[in-house]
Amino acid sequence: MNPEMKIIREVNIQAENFYGEAVKLGDHAAYALKAPHRSQMTNLENIAESAFKATDIFDYIKKQTARFSYWRQPFPENKASNAGFGESLKHYLEHDLKDKLATICGPKRLNIGDKTDEEKQERRLIYLLLIRQFIRQLVVEYEYQVSLGSRKREA
Amino acid sequence: MLSAAQLQKIWLLSDTVLYPEAVSFMRKLVQDQDCDPLPASQVAGLLSIAESMKYDDLHRFVLHQRDRNWPPSKRDIKTFYTALEEALSLMQRKRLKEEFHLVTGEQGRSVSEARQELDELMALLAREFIQHLAAENGLLAAQLDDERKKQRMSRR
Repeated sequence: MNPEMKIIREVNIQAENFYGEAVKLGDHAAYALKAPHRSQMTNLENIAESAFKATDIFDYIKKQTARFSYWRQPFPENKASNAGFGESLKHYLEHDLKDKLATICGPKRLNIGDKTDEEKQERRLIYLLLIRQFIRQLVVEYEYQVSLGSRKREA
Repeated sequence: MLSAAQLQKIWLLSDTVLYPEAVSFMRKLVQDQDCDPLPASQVAGLLSIAESMKYDDLHRFVLHQRDRNWPPSKRDIKTFYTALEEALSLMQRKRLKEEFHLVTGEQGRSVSEARQELDELMALLAREFIQHLAAENGLLAAQLDDERKKQRMSRR
């Protein structure tokens, strides 16, 4: 298998593993942002898809969190944490996904080091792929929940 | 004109070096030194200059803001610009060549070409750093605001 295909396969395996977390954060987003702020989720997805740097995505999340109080709203269903949506998302991307990146780049999987610039660039791109995949899943769940909510109201 | 390799290196530096440094920079000022976050009008001005691409203009702006005679109520703004000027100067004097290894140093280039490359590199690095500062600054300002609201509510 060529290196690109190996990377895609590993990212897809991780996407299966973090699906549950993406759903939780998608539910949190639906609770906090609700349907009227749908464009902010679309923007998040667009930024993730087009960003050259993971930190462009983090900066966007920070800006939205600072600007809109609903991005700072905790999720009552999450008894373990009182963190708002923006903070929870930022934490997951910055820490949990970083750990997954380290796992798939480790010697037993893709075996990509962290010493040379070339290796670091490769890791940067894989990190972006993981973030994109996670945000796609999150936004799908958000859309599903808000549409479910509006259908319930219509009924 | 910077090469694709230089741009990619800057993106990498932005993610791995400048972002964590910008977060520490703001937290040190706001959480350790009890400074107020930078007001939104200052952030907007700084971002707009940083996006203008010319490093000289940005540096002049930072120096001007640092050296202004701020009233005591706005002394934190002076503290911010003093720290920012130090960070940018260190980046330009030392880190650009010795740590970031971004300068190509091609043979046969004129002094003005070499200077232009340095200017473009610094403009991009400074812009990345300032964008990260602005995002963290906003987050800290919102957190402080929420805390103050909670305190006011609990006093009632």
